[in-house]
Amino acid sequence: MATTLVETATPVQYQEGMMKRQRTVFLVAGAVLLVFMAINVLVGSIDIGFKEIMDILITHDTASTKGFIVWKIRLPRAIAAALGGGCLSVAGLLLQVYFRNPIVGPFILGISSGATLMVSIVMLTSVTIGMTLVNPFMCTLAAFVGAYGTMLIVLLIANRVKNGVTLLIVGLMMGYLCHSVTSVLVAFAEKEKIKGFVLWQLGSFSGFKWSEIEILCIVGGLVLVLVYFLAKPLNAFLLGEDYAASMGVNIRLFRMLILVSACALAGMITSMAGPVAFVGLAVPHMVRLLFATSDNRVLIPGSVLVGAMVISLCDFIARMVFNPVELPISAITAFFGAPIVISLLLKRRTKI
Amino acid sequence: MNQALAVLSANDLCVGYGKKTVLENVRLEFVKGEFISLLGPNGAGKTTLLRTLSRHLAPLGGEVVLGGVELGKIVQQDLAKTMSVVLTEKVVPPLLRVFDFVAMGRYPHTGWRGRLTDKDNQVVMEALAMVQAGELVYRDLDTLSDGERQKVYVARALAQQPEIILLDEPTMHLDLKHRMELMSILRRLCRDKGICVVASLHDVEIAAKISDKVALVKGGEIRAFGPPEDVLLDDTVADLYDFRNARFSRVLGTIEMENRVDRGRVFVVGGMGSSSVLYRLLSKKGYGIVTGVLHRNDIDLHVARSLGAACLVQEHLDGISPENMENARSEMKNCDCVIDTGFELETINAGNLALLKEAVSMGKPVLSMRNGSGRELYTAGEYESIKFSTSESSLVEMVKCLSLPI
Repeated sequence: MATTLVETATPVQYQEGMMKRQRTVFLVAGAVLLVFMAINVLVGSIDIGFKEIMDILITHDTASTKGFIVWKIRLPRAIAAALGGGCLSVAGLLLQVYFRNPIVGPFILGISSGATLMVSIVMLTSVTIGMTLVNPFMCTLAAFVGAYGTMLIVLLIANRVKNGVTLLIVGLMMGYLCHSVTSVLVAFAEKEKIKGFVLWQLGSFSGFKWSEIEILCIVGGLVLVLVYFLAKPLNAFLLGEDYAASMGVNIRLFRMLILVSACALAGMITSMAGPVAFVGLAVPHMVRLLFATSDNRVLIPGSVLVGAMVISLCDFIARMVFNPVELPISAITAFFGAPIVISLLLKRRTKI
Repeated sequence: MNQALAVLSANDLCVGYGKKTVLENVRLEFVKGEFISLLGPNGAGKTTLLRTLSRHLAPLGGEVVLGGVELGKIVQQDLAKTMSVVLTEKVVPPLLRVFDFVAMGRYPHTGWRGRLTDKDNQVVMEALAMVQAGELVYRDLDTLSDGERQKVYVARALAQQPEIILLDEPTMHLDLKHRMELMSILRRLCRDKGICVVASLHDVEIAAKISDKVALVKGGEIRAFGPPEDVLLDDTVADLYDFRNARFSRVLGTIEMENRVDRGRVFVVGGMGSSSVLYRLLSKKGYGIVTGVLHRNDIDLHVARSLGAACLVQEHLDGISPENMENARSEMKNCDCVIDTGFELETINAGNLALLKEAVSMGKPVLSMRNGSGRELYTAGEYESIKFSTSESSLVEMVKCLSLPI
């Protein structure tokens, strides 16, 4: 909020001033996102020249080794990371606004714990007997079932409880419940399997297929559009459910829509990339401060852009810093994200 | 009941949570442009009643009727255009300016994106001007003081352009200045805008002075509902709050702490408004008060009574009757000291001066606040034995020094 406004400014002048600033931030964030995505395609463990990559992209060459790397590995990964970051950030924003709590993230309702539980069953037990290798597709399917199963249970409970804090605690308890079962499975698991499981828990955007990206684009896109339509009631929720109801918001309907959207987004990314930590919690804070507003009509598209931007950068670091060893994405997001959020909050003294 | 005039009415309403009934048989009727206060002790059910009237709680029985339609049947959006609320909850979203906060009140009037038209902007600015908070318009909400924030909350409620506003304890946490300012703002909303304002209040004194009607909430029912002049009687208020050591005076419109005697008895000769401050001070310090002889229309009499002092009253506006003089003499004998408040002397209270002179000759310690030429009323001998003082507080200090028996 750099500009100090005099009382004599008209509302229209004030609104135009805000919009001007926000438009600039949108443009800059969009440009930075494109640059990061480009870097993610251009740079990797194998050196491929800029001109060569452009040729591969233009000719749609998937046959050669380099073409395969660009088309089947780097490009899907760059897109998946951006989409994943956007979806997780919006999920986090939705839940932070709904619960009016700054330390809420997309996984607060137990989505990731449910996914982890199901994945641990697949990866650590002998359910997969007869399969010599743990199939990545099985992991995705298990995580999907776990994430959305938990979501259904939480939503059923949400329909019955009256206030947000109770629901928050229910979500936390669901998390602990799933976690305890997972711990038992870990205790009985073979050593070699545990490393794979732990790495899955830290998330990764590698190995995305184009078919998965299509699903991500279509489903994710639809949910994001729906969320944008929720922006106005979401703003009313900033004042709490009681005020929102008194202003004409159908609480039961919109509570469900908010929770379903947040869980759907978080569940989708979790099943494909694992529970990527921290982004969903940190990005909404960054966006609020960047755009200097709590208006969700700005924050929703803002979160998509900034979330995509942040994850693109983090994924690049994860791939390159100990090249060729790849780090889990959660390690990077938290390591760089936490200090940034702390310093931003201290500087601006904002609280949600 | 005249349904046509009533903005909001409750018919045989029963409110509560789940199976627990809080209030029964609630019959209320709120008319356009009225200020209604809900009074009652903590936990009596004021908030529960308000939440039922605002449809945050479903009624357990009976019905609430808003503008002729049963509350449950009104579309949420339409309800928001007719009724708005100010809750006790302190809501301070971050990074939100006062303008945007108040603009949220336009929610039921705007389209799906919540875009503000010129008219919306105008309504917001008017609402802020109405609550005298125009200068706060671009401040951050979290930089406001409690009083400023409360005004902004009222402005948000106003931006909904309602016919009725429900406020739950709007003056809580406010200092005296902001409390009075807020009440006069609300009063003005009723008078100028014709809005019906319903507020739960703790302050009986303010409620009595500002409300068109008050509803007394206690013991699971509405004890009384009507103009404060009819409803707020000395006994009903004391009963409402179970006062043990304070009492309400309908005439004065104030609550006085009752006189608890643990020091000694003082006879105050005063009248014509000269003694009110002294009564309160003596009462606060724990002296028993006997006062007289006061005329029936004297302000001192009302204050003394509300403090629970023993009063000797002259019924008619003439000289003090022989019986009253006799009563005063015998009361004076039982008191530890006698105080002359320096009352203005007229023919009808000449008896009081005589009483003071008798006190001196009785050998009672006499203290006086009479000053200047007024002191010439006493003879030289009397003058010698009277202790003079210029203010109530120094006088009470002197009473203390007499070391009266407890």
